[in-house]
Amino acid sequence: MRKKTLTVLSGLMCLVLVATLLGACTSTAEEPGTKAPLKIGMSTPSTGVAAEKGAPMGHANVDCIKYVNDELGGVDGHEIEALWLDNGYDASKAVTIVNRFVDEDCLLFTVASSGMMTAMMGIANENELSGFAAFSSPNLTQPPQHIYGQTPDYGDDWAAFAKYYLDNIWKGPGKPKMALHLLDNSTGAGARMAAEAGAEDMGIELRDKWIFEHPATTSSETTSLTTLPDDIDVLYISSTPAPTAIVIKSAVELGMYPGMTIACGHAGFTSALVELAGADIVEGVYGVYPTVGWDDDVPAMAKMTEYCQKYHPDDYGNMDYIISWAQSLITVEILRLAVENAGADNLTPQVVEAQGLKKLKNFDVGGLHGPVSYTSGDNRLSKSVRVFRIDDGVLEPITGWVESPFISYE
Amino acid sequence: MDLPAGTRNYTYAQDMAIFRTKTHWTLLIGLLVVLCTAPLWWGNWLSVANLIGITIIAATGLNILTGYCGQLSIGHAGFMAVGAYTSAILTERLGLPFPVGLISAGVAAGLVGMIFGMPSLRVKGFYLAIATIAAQFIIIWVIKHWTDVTGGHMGMSVSAPALGGLVLKSNASQFYLIGSIAVLSIFFAKNLARTRVGRAFVAIRDNDLAAEVMGINLFRYKLIAFFIGCFFAGIAGSLFAHWARFISDEFFPLTDSILYIGMIIIGGLGTTTGPIFGAIFIGLIKHSLTHYLVPTLESSAIALPAGFASGLAPMVFGLIIILFLILEPRGLAHRWQLFKAAYRLWPFSY
Repeated sequence: MRKKTLTVLSGLMCLVLVATLLGACTSTAEEPGTKAPLKIGMSTPSTGVAAEKGAPMGHANVDCIKYVNDELGGVDGHEIEALWLDNGYDASKAVTIVNRFVDEDCLLFTVASSGMMTAMMGIANENELSGFAAFSSPNLTQPPQHIYGQTPDYGDDWAAFAKYYLDNIWKGPGKPKMALHLLDNSTGAGARMAAEAGAEDMGIELRDKWIFEHPATTSSETTSLTTLPDDIDVLYISSTPAPTAIVIKSAVELGMYPGMTIACGHAGFTSALVELAGADIVEGVYGVYPTVGWDDDVPAMAKMTEYCQKYHPDDYGNMDYIISWAQSLITVEILRLAVENAGADNLTPQVVEAQGLKKLKNFDVGGLHGPVSYTSGDNRLSKSVRVFRIDDGVLEPITGWVESPFISYE
Repeated sequence: MDLPAGTRNYTYAQDMAIFRTKTHWTLLIGLLVVLCTAPLWWGNWLSVANLIGITIIAATGLNILTGYCGQLSIGHAGFMAVGAYTSAILTERLGLPFPVGLISAGVAAGLVGMIFGMPSLRVKGFYLAIATIAAQFIIIWVIKHWTDVTGGHMGMSVSAPALGGLVLKSNASQFYLIGSIAVLSIFFAKNLARTRVGRAFVAIRDNDLAAEVMGINLFRYKLIAFFIGCFFAGIAGSLFAHWARFISDEFFPLTDSILYIGMIIIGGLGTTTGPIFGAIFIGLIKHSLTHYLVPTLESSAIALPAGFASGLAPMVFGLIIILFLILEPRGLAHRWQLFKAAYRLWPFSY
């Protein structure tokens, strides 16, 4: 027994050592005659509490870089070396990851979630390593430093939906009553900041006691929802898909929905929401999302669909895949501009930011989302969203691109 | 304390010495050389090493509280948060120097720990665990909602630690700071266990009724244990804040508190080396999987099912912990003792 125990324990120790040493084996020497690769960092929460979003996003990042390297020959002949790491939605792990991006001289980095970018931005800003998050919140971009938002932030989502609601849905007299159900991190805080700043001016009644927070691991929100008055007109949720599904299910169980309007910010509005809650539960739910849908006929759709169905067919139909594919295309464009403006031999993170990222001007991401530009003082790269509604389990766009105004929270 | 064959102690100082033989001193010097030169050859593992160093300090504190004194705490990440925010507020908002922030962080966390340790007079075991879980939730709730001071969900930016005019920005410079404090913490814990207070802790852990009959003031010593254990957590929290340059409530989840318990169990409860082994073991597994195994599998030519590599990490992590608890419930420190015993007797193992 003792020998057996020793053997198993030795095996475990060896496993740790082997995994540790794998790093040394994975680096590859540059072949003579080939152009030096351009190294970038990518991180997604492919495991952990936000895995339903992070996993398809990580797949899209990796698939798109593979497409660019294999079919487009990289950037000006330079292969893109993407150091992709799963942060597990663990803030401590995210800090070690951004440290590694700095140590390994990555030229820029991308992150899926605002929460993990929040954890990484201290080190990134200090080292002037620019990065951008697919999903952003105001704290990342205000005051503007080296962190950018790929798409409008969660506050912009709220503003875009609130405007749409007042213009197209609200028919009653007086002000509509709005409740907020928010994830207890920057995803929820972004929406809250915008709602508290803009609700009164827009003509929406919002009270502190109608604002709820939930953790990412929530299993029921019936208790919080029962405290709402019966005449609430609209419930706005800014969270990830799993908790969003819980909140909507709880509203259905209590008979509150479909008696009121429910809308979601883009962090929770994806096909995963339909899968988790069930198509009949989320029927008629509105959502704001910054990309096109899978059925839209846009230039980048064919290649993205081909790679998705070839390498990660389970992700087909998930809009988070689209946003990360677009994220990688933007990364490639930034590198292309930097190489064009400064030369491949002169690239540093600072040069890439100044000569690549800040030179973005109306870059069309193959139609996957609104045009991407850098505007001085506004670190949101794309400013457009669309309003969707779930019909028969499908996320159908019901508006064209809606420009999100810049809201200053300072 | 068992001695290697042929080793005798002739003085009290010899008897109390931590390093007694030439082998001990050789190993110590070797370890110090490795640690001092680490920044030259550890590369991007330095940031992981810093995090492990911080974890060792926190786990050492929990080991004093749980391993030595037997007071189960599942709020250790919360106490770290108290330290992190105390240090961040003092240095960033009030402009006080880092050493003041560091010490204040320990004191603040220690005092908060004492408050949540008060129920320990009446309850113990799982009931005390529930009380300390409450600490975790209450502390994080306060951080989330006291937005004017803590920044709420938006968190707080924290600058690099500075000693006098020396700003420790790089991972290498912070490695020496964190490493030094970790060594001091371990040294303190080692000596504490051999003092009157340490022996009182052990007596309380082994049988609190008997300890009380012997004249040990249970309430006093339990509160001391909470203060010391949480003081260490506060110091670790302060170092963490200045290492990560940013803090928010998300850095201190309940899962971390549970993981700290796991670390001291895997390392060996009630031993000085236990928290070191546990923190290194868990840290290496976690970061090896994150940084190397999963990306390697994801990019490998082997046709793995979608998401398999990412899903593998938590599975392997959980499996290793379960196997350890089944096969070596007394922890790595016990295995280390067996190894040392075998080494001393070799080649005559029986």
